[in-house]
Amino acid sequence: MKGKAISIHSARGGTGKTVIAVNLAVILASKGCNVGLLDLDLRAPSLSTIFSKVIEPPVRYWLNDYLNGQCTEEQVMINVSKKYNLEGELLIGLANPAVDAIRSLLGKSSAWEVTAVKKLFSLLSRLFEDMGIDVCLLDTSPGIQYSSINSAVSSDLTIVVTTLDSLDLKGTETMLIDLYDALARKTAVLINKYSPEPRMFHGESSKGIASRVEGILKHPVIGVIPCFCDVLERERAIIMAIEDPKHPFISELEDVAEKIDKIVKG
Amino acid sequence: MHFEVLDMAVEETNSKPEFILAKTLSLFQTISQQLDLLISINEKMLETQKEFLQESNARAGNGVSPDTLSLLSLPSSLRKTVLALYKLQKATAEDIAGETKRLRGMESAWANQLVRLGYLKKIRQGRKIYFFIESRQETKE
Repeated sequence: MKGKAISIHSARGGTGKTVIAVNLAVILASKGCNVGLLDLDLRAPSLSTIFSKVIEPPVRYWLNDYLNGQCTEEQVMINVSKKYNLEGELLIGLANPAVDAIRSLLGKSSAWEVTAVKKLFSLLSRLFEDMGIDVCLLDTSPGIQYSSINSAVSSDLTIVVTTLDSLDLKGTETMLIDLYDALARKTAVLINKYSPEPRMFHGESSKGIASRVEGILKHPVIGVIPCFCDVLERERAIIMAIEDPKHPFISELEDVAEKIDKIVKG
Repeated sequence: MHFEVLDMAVEETNSKPEFILAKTLSLFQTISQQLDLLISINEKMLETQKEFLQESNARAGNGVSPDTLSLLSLPSSLRKTVLALYKLQKATAEDIAGETKRLRGMESAWANQLVRLGYLKKIRQGRKIYFFIESRQETKE
């Protein structure tokens, strides 16, 4: 396949996974890259809300429909690049946030999951080979769930987002060993919400933090994003890379995007 | 007296190398026939057991499903083959080897082992044998 699939995952919720996935997708597309973005957090979807300003309801086909074999790859992907005047294409696949759709997923058998992972591979293959996509970001559900493991298995690289909270770090360590190492997947860690306050972490620099976490997790750390209070205070449905592209949070993510590009190409 | 002469004659015949060789050959032939019979019985038993296992699995509806979580319980050598087949969907041992960068012969052995374990199916098309993951929805279709 020409393009690369990158999963954004975390051991626990609230690490900023979706905000990072959406903004990375917009940053890459604004630089001329053709990007796909899939909402694979099927049990707690949020991309439909984030992109609601540019998508006219009703959404005809959801990712749920595609995984159930009810629509084609072309039908499930929505092109939003013109709405944001992006240089590259941005195609998004949304998960259905309706309670009925989520309830229906709860009753799915492991055999359905086998079909789902095969459908996911087919979707990525069509995106890369026929729809000109260079990078596809998969926003997954936190922890060990079928949707997140299916996306990790179908990705070329998984970025595990963690905060420096001990529960997050321990969960990430367990997940990296028991899941990613066992499945032999290429993985990198992204630390989010790092507090640069001198009273925190004994005034350790972000480089020092990255090196210490790499020592603990035995996986490369591709970025340490500081905690920006104004980002936390803003509405999460706002896409910072569109609304405030010069914000330091976006500058940090631009560095991450460059590192991802190197890892994927390497 | 007559009997003694007869016994001596028999003993003399039995000690001849031609006779010993003929008798050994005959014994080997009997053993070979019995081994063939055992092998054939064993094969029939294995076939019956396999059919029984498949039937009972189908009846219970719990055929092996190679979902991504189940992969974690497989040895890493077999897991890699299934992961490659998720991507390739349907492939020969050679195609799988191209994906996993392992030897074709080893991939063939692992894929066949996964077939025996019920994780994969295989189908012959012309001279090639293709391995694939079958999911229950597809079976119904």
